[in-house]
Amino acid sequence: MATKKVGVSRREFLKKSSAFAIGAAAWPQFLRSAHGASRDRVTIFHSSVADSIHPYNHSSSPIYGQWQHVIEPLFEYDFKRKDYIGVLAESWQFQGNKWVFKLRKGIKFHDGTPFTSKDVAFSVERMRDEKGGSLQAPNFKDIVEIQTPDDQTVIFVTKQPNAILLDRLDNRLIVSKAAGDKYGDKLYENLVGTGPYKFVSYQRGGHLVFTRNDDYWGPKAAIKEVIFKKVTEDAARLAALESGQADFINNVPDHEVPRLKKHPRIRIDQLEGTRMFFLAMNFAFKPWDNKLVRQAANYSVDAPAIVRNIFDGIGYPCNGPVGANVLGADPKLKRYPYDPQKAKQLLAQAGYPNGCDIQLYYSAGRYPKDREVCQVVAAQMVKGGFRVELISQEWALFWDKQGVNGGRLPFYYIGRGGLIDADTLYDQYFRTGTTRRTNYSNPDLDKLVEEQQKTPESKKRIALLQQAGKYIMDEALFIPLYNLADIYGTAKNLDWKTRPDERVMARDMRIK
Amino acid sequence: MFSQRFLKIWVGGAILSLLIVCGVAAPLLAPRDPQAQTLEDRLRPPRWLESGSQAYLLGTDNLGRDMLSRIIYGSRISLMVGVATVLFAGLVGCTLGAVAGYFGSTADEVVSKVSEIFLAFPFLLIAIAIMAFLGQGVGNLIMALMLSRWVQYCRVVRGEVLSLKERDFVTAAKALGGRDFYVLFRHVVPNTFASVTVIATFGMAIVIITEASLSFLGLGVPAHIPTWGSMLSEGRSYINRAPWLTIFPGMAIFITVFGINLLGDGLRDVFDPKLRRQR
Repeated sequence: MATKKVGVSRREFLKKSSAFAIGAAAWPQFLRSAHGASRDRVTIFHSSVADSIHPYNHSSSPIYGQWQHVIEPLFEYDFKRKDYIGVLAESWQFQGNKWVFKLRKGIKFHDGTPFTSKDVAFSVERMRDEKGGSLQAPNFKDIVEIQTPDDQTVIFVTKQPNAILLDRLDNRLIVSKAAGDKYGDKLYENLVGTGPYKFVSYQRGGHLVFTRNDDYWGPKAAIKEVIFKKVTEDAARLAALESGQADFINNVPDHEVPRLKKHPRIRIDQLEGTRMFFLAMNFAFKPWDNKLVRQAANYSVDAPAIVRNIFDGIGYPCNGPVGANVLGADPKLKRYPYDPQKAKQLLAQAGYPNGCDIQLYYSAGRYPKDREVCQVVAAQMVKGGFRVELISQEWALFWDKQGVNGGRLPFYYIGRGGLIDADTLYDQYFRTGTTRRTNYSNPDLDKLVEEQQKTPESKKRIALLQQAGKYIMDEALFIPLYNLADIYGTAKNLDWKTRPDERVMARDMRIK
Repeated sequence: MFSQRFLKIWVGGAILSLLIVCGVAAPLLAPRDPQAQTLEDRLRPPRWLESGSQAYLLGTDNLGRDMLSRIIYGSRISLMVGVATVLFAGLVGCTLGAVAGYFGSTADEVVSKVSEIFLAFPFLLIAIAIMAFLGQGVGNLIMALMLSRWVQYCRVVRGEVLSLKERDFVTAAKALGGRDFYVLFRHVVPNTFASVTVIATFGMAIVIITEASLSFLGLGVPAHIPTWGSMLSEGRSYINRAPWLTIFPGMAIFITVFGINLLGDGLRDVFDPKLRRQR
């Protein structure tokens, strides 16, 4: 009796199912090779992306790097040579109370207009305009006049000889005066610069798009389009990198490094960062005006333990007011040892025998593992006799006039990026009136800081900085913590030179 | 008594009771202080795994805190927020709904329009907005959840009251000279309790999930207070290296919500007149 075949034969079934199995097994391999960075577009997920379209409305290292795609500085710091190298400026000279800059010839803005000294003067006026939203004005407080004798020369006249002006002018990015005249208040929406990239768009919440400037005066960038997207969650950035959604991320959590180093599609770059982390105290608030309380706080925080346990040892505790690689560091200085008993004694002496209530502010997601660090600090300080309330704020609120820069936060966890000269920290946080971040004021320290700023001779200057550093440690003006490693994750085919100043610039990227 | 009919109530009730016992007796049950950090012991796996420690049954978290103790203490926040929100939201919602349904006209107009405004937004969004405005804290969290949850009670009670007030027993109560408020709260409102109990149980499950979501987003209670949501959030970045940081709080949320939903389901079966008639 003939039987009628129904459906699939055994042979056919085996054939099809084995083909499917092979396909399924090969699929992840195929996916891995399929996604990688491309020449057309690099997507960067970063924990810190410009919070507004105003390029001077911040003073944050990674954000300088973002705007530097479009608008460029006169010069920048070369970490290999440990010196400044010219960008828009060709050369500069320190002459008494003048700094004379010669500008590069033949540079054109994106709109075709030539770059001249007038643009520099115009941009500086914009940066000085605090009412217009600039947060960079304090850098210019010593400058009394800007002269533009000809198109290629800019002269900054200071109140007195100023040895550290280069440090202040580093990161000052130049916009076009012609565009400023044309667009007025709308200049930033139509940002015109000289950079290797042109501005395309900005969306609130941190989404920046740049496209290559094919007429760039320097070497043309290899990547055509760059997208910066703000993602503050470590896990979310990492997931994006692993899935191929992002080609580049910053602040890779250190505990993921061993696993990612084995990843077929991802490369990890890590180096000692220039950002120094510390706990700042605001002297306008009690109990921080009391030296004994400040010392007690210093004795109760164990920074080496935080580095060892929270950052898996990938970090560099500060042994004084600044890290060992910073100009002006003093190898003789020591941090306050961890001694909670001593802290309790000091608190009792200061009039807090039953402990002292404090609030510790931070902005969760801004820095690597900040939430964990602050919880550990709180637990350590509890042992030293403090009662700590932890308060996390959105970065914009935390940093702005309502927060740190308005002198409104009593005690906070913060990192100072791009710290290569101790003067930057001392001037910004402890000199009278530069900023309101700590509201500290002391004529002796002011004198030391001013004195070194006037001293061109390096050795003498370092000695003065060390003197200031010793004073800061003796008075326990803040709690220095550590420098961390900057850990970046990139698609394996993306070639990129790491920089210690947290700047991520597409001009440094190539596709292999 | 242990019939199939009451099975859901029994199981759900048992889970809820366990949660209540955990919450109330947390200091007795937890083997350690949930906030005590032992940094040297951080990221220890649960006891039964290789390299697990005898001292920590469910392992330790990223700061070396005992997971079991944190989960036990975490139940307090879930329970407190769940119960308080349901009570306050129920009180506000039922009162407004009853008044709107019974008196009609302007009272009804106002209450209905306001509740429609609240209904127009996803309630998690309302809760996030309110928390962003009020700041972290348990009290604020309860307030935010209450403001986003009262509408459910209000709508249901209003609907029930609308139909109840036409019934004969209400007319009778009025005919006997009962004043409006007396009739409303003595005779009408008690008749809505069956439905309110059901929404309250389901509502509690939703509130517990919402609390976990808000804590996960960093908008719940301050960082040092252990809650299941914040434990999930903190553990997430360690999911590859230490999955137990997310598995246990996730399971705690799942079991709790499952139990409460089961209870709600059981109660609905019991109270539902249609289902009752079938039996």
